[in-house]
Amino acid sequence: MTSSGRSLPIVPGQYQPALPTDRFIVAEPPDAEHVPMDVVFVGGGPAGLAGAIELARLARADAEAGGSLGDIQIAVLEKAGALGEHCLSGAVVNPAAFRALFPDMADGDFPFRAKVAGERVYFLTGSRAIRLPTPPTMRNHGNYVGSICEMVRWLGERAEAAGVNIFTGFPVASLLVEHDRVIGVRTTPSGLERDGTRGPAYTPPTDLTARVTVLAEGTRGSLTQAYCRWRGIGSANPPLFALGVKELWESARPLDAVVHTLGWPLPNDAFGGTFMYPLGGNQIAVGVVVGLDYRQASLDAHELLQRLKLHPLFRSYLQGGEMIEWGAKTIPEGGDWALAERRYGDGLLVTGDAAGFVEVASLKGIHYAMQSGIFAARAIFDALKMQDTSAAALASYDQMVKDSYITRDLYERRNMRLAFQHGGLYGGGIKAGLMTVTRGAFPGGRIASERDADVARTSDGVAHVPPDGKLTFSKLDAVFRSGNATRDDIPSHLIVGQDVPPAVADFYAHLCPAGVYERDGDRLVVSPANCVDCKATDDVGPRWTPREGGSGAKYRSM
Amino acid sequence: MKIAVCIKRAADMETRFKIAADGRSIDEAGVKFDIADFDGFAVEAALQLKEKDGTGEVTVISLGKDAVQETLRKALSMGADKAVHLKTDAVPADALAIARVLAAELEGGGYDLMLFGRMAIDAANQSVGPMAAELLGVPCVSAASQLGVAGGRGTARRELEGAAEVLEFPLPAVVTIDEGIARPRLPSLKGIMAAKKKPLEVKPVQVGESRVTVIKMELPPERTGGRIIGEGPDAVPELVRLLQTEAKVL
Repeated sequence: MTSSGRSLPIVPGQYQPALPTDRFIVAEPPDAEHVPMDVVFVGGGPAGLAGAIELARLARADAEAGGSLGDIQIAVLEKAGALGEHCLSGAVVNPAAFRALFPDMADGDFPFRAKVAGERVYFLTGSRAIRLPTPPTMRNHGNYVGSICEMVRWLGERAEAAGVNIFTGFPVASLLVEHDRVIGVRTTPSGLERDGTRGPAYTPPTDLTARVTVLAEGTRGSLTQAYCRWRGIGSANPPLFALGVKELWESARPLDAVVHTLGWPLPNDAFGGTFMYPLGGNQIAVGVVVGLDYRQASLDAHELLQRLKLHPLFRSYLQGGEMIEWGAKTIPEGGDWALAERRYGDGLLVTGDAAGFVEVASLKGIHYAMQSGIFAARAIFDALKMQDTSAAALASYDQMVKDSYITRDLYERRNMRLAFQHGGLYGGGIKAGLMTVTRGAFPGGRIASERDADVARTSDGVAHVPPDGKLTFSKLDAVFRSGNATRDDIPSHLIVGQDVPPAVADFYAHLCPAGVYERDGDRLVVSPANCVDCKATDDVGPRWTPREGGSGAKYRSM
Repeated sequence: MKIAVCIKRAADMETRFKIAADGRSIDEAGVKFDIADFDGFAVEAALQLKEKDGTGEVTVISLGKDAVQETLRKALSMGADKAVHLKTDAVPADALAIARVLAAELEGGGYDLMLFGRMAIDAANQSVGPMAAELLGVPCVSAASQLGVAGGRGTARRELEGAAEVLEFPLPAVVTIDEGIARPRLPSLKGIMAAKKKPLEVKPVQVGESRVTVIKMELPPERTGGRIIGEGPDAVPELVRLLQTEAKVL
């Protein structure tokens, strides 16, 4: 490690550019050529698609019953080139929301790979794996292992069949607003040259108007952040995020159980763990999740995953196999205390990961996302019927969320994640245990937390794992396996602070799993085309903004 | 001017392929499909000709199972006017059998130009277009990198090894399109909306006997890793030597 990295603690927030709210919130009338819609879902993941399906069905049922609503136009805008290509999750799925959305189907009809057949939790040291009793929050009996990409493609087919307009390759750049009201969205242009001039394939932005816009943009949604800033919507605690880095393997031998580990290779003062899931046949998902409030500037989640695979427990499955996909994504894990005061506004709702509906103790988010989409659809349907899509009319969405298992689960485990920011692995673990036993009554009150960006980092020179290209991979090889083939001559979509010191450049280089940031001497070198939209640096460093549609990862089975 | 473009639904070549259990085809699970690369250029060429002409109609035609409708819709969302799905469960390996079905559809369609991709990116036969031309008894220009129409005659440019040639031919004609023509446009959001309302006709077809069959398919051997022979100017002589003696490319 460099001496520049060792000397002083870094507080990343000091170097973080401000959120460019004025880019995301645009008080302009829609373009004359705008596409009129009734409801626009921003994001074609589980939340947006479940919401669109439910809304299309409610509208159809209303029409068949001779209702007043008439034909409504629903759009889902997805930034990836095809549905699912930007979705990444573990994933062990609670089927509750699939059952709620498709009550006539059996679990076997859903796009899951396999039922959880067994589960094991280990505490790892560098060479050993010590079996632990499965914590009650992590019991997965009755859940299913699956690929979120496959779930999303399946939901997309159903949405399309229900008459939803699905537009892939159209990121939303801005919310169009009139006074306090969201009246639609503007997509990003495409075909720009690196300097921002129009290339031969230039396509201008398209405006879509909507009576209700639903933000279902996923983790660290830019529009959600900007909207909350614009409307002054706060939360008791700041949101917290983790970074997950995951690989999909054709393994040497099949795995028979869902495996979670604590301890090595994560440092004791970092919150997180690892997972290994059987996806049927010889496919295995393996990954590392680490809270972005970690204290070591040199912590590198991609490297941790590479090191993890060298552990006998993992190596025994993976060695001799083939890594077929790689990806990374942040996870909102602030829980109940970090939820926004409200998730509705005039002409607007926020759902899924964008709203922070992830329960970190059980590592679940997909069913909360889908369920929140379903609730959003019901609130919108009622609002459209009343011909009133004001904040007051849409507030029923928040009430449905509050009365549901989403809030119940997040509330019960509201302090677990926070205990770790203060107690580390051991102290936090004991406190989390007490919280589980008392169903959240211990310790009473709220544990305050810092923004990830405000946590000071010191460097301790962690050794680099030289990749062998078979079991372990460089970031460059990894990005190739994400399917990323972004044009490298488009304008940079990352907003980087001015005069980033070398120690901070090193911090970014370690933080970003996709090798977007490198330090060259005293200079920070940025390669935006590598970006897979994980949003890790958006939390503590350079800001992410939407770029040309179809850029970034092309995940198939993550 | 009436233009037909025959397009094929093919696997995205960036996909990681697996051979299916039958050993004779690719496993389609998890594979992304799209308009075959050169066919996309053919659609773009047709749209540009129509736009330049200010009038005309572009019909896209595809042979295959129901999934090809997605491919046809994409071409419609790029700006084609009509689509025809020649429905069959399986597309044979025999290019002549395919050409016969397509020629039967093109025959009597009143098309001035019938465009194909230079080759289907997955089968690489380069035969269906020229065979269809033969069956229809019309002139054929293959691998055109530029295409123009004026006064009932077409002109095409072809890139040759070390040269280029420009040809002239009467219409109607078949032209297969190479990638020199402008990059296929991305569908606009409005184009996607409009495509939902454009006509897509489904015609069940009988594909004749296939006299060519695939008996085996295998993946290419894994590439052996590169070799670093040194760094900086000092390494150049050794690099040149190896390129001459081992790689034999110099």
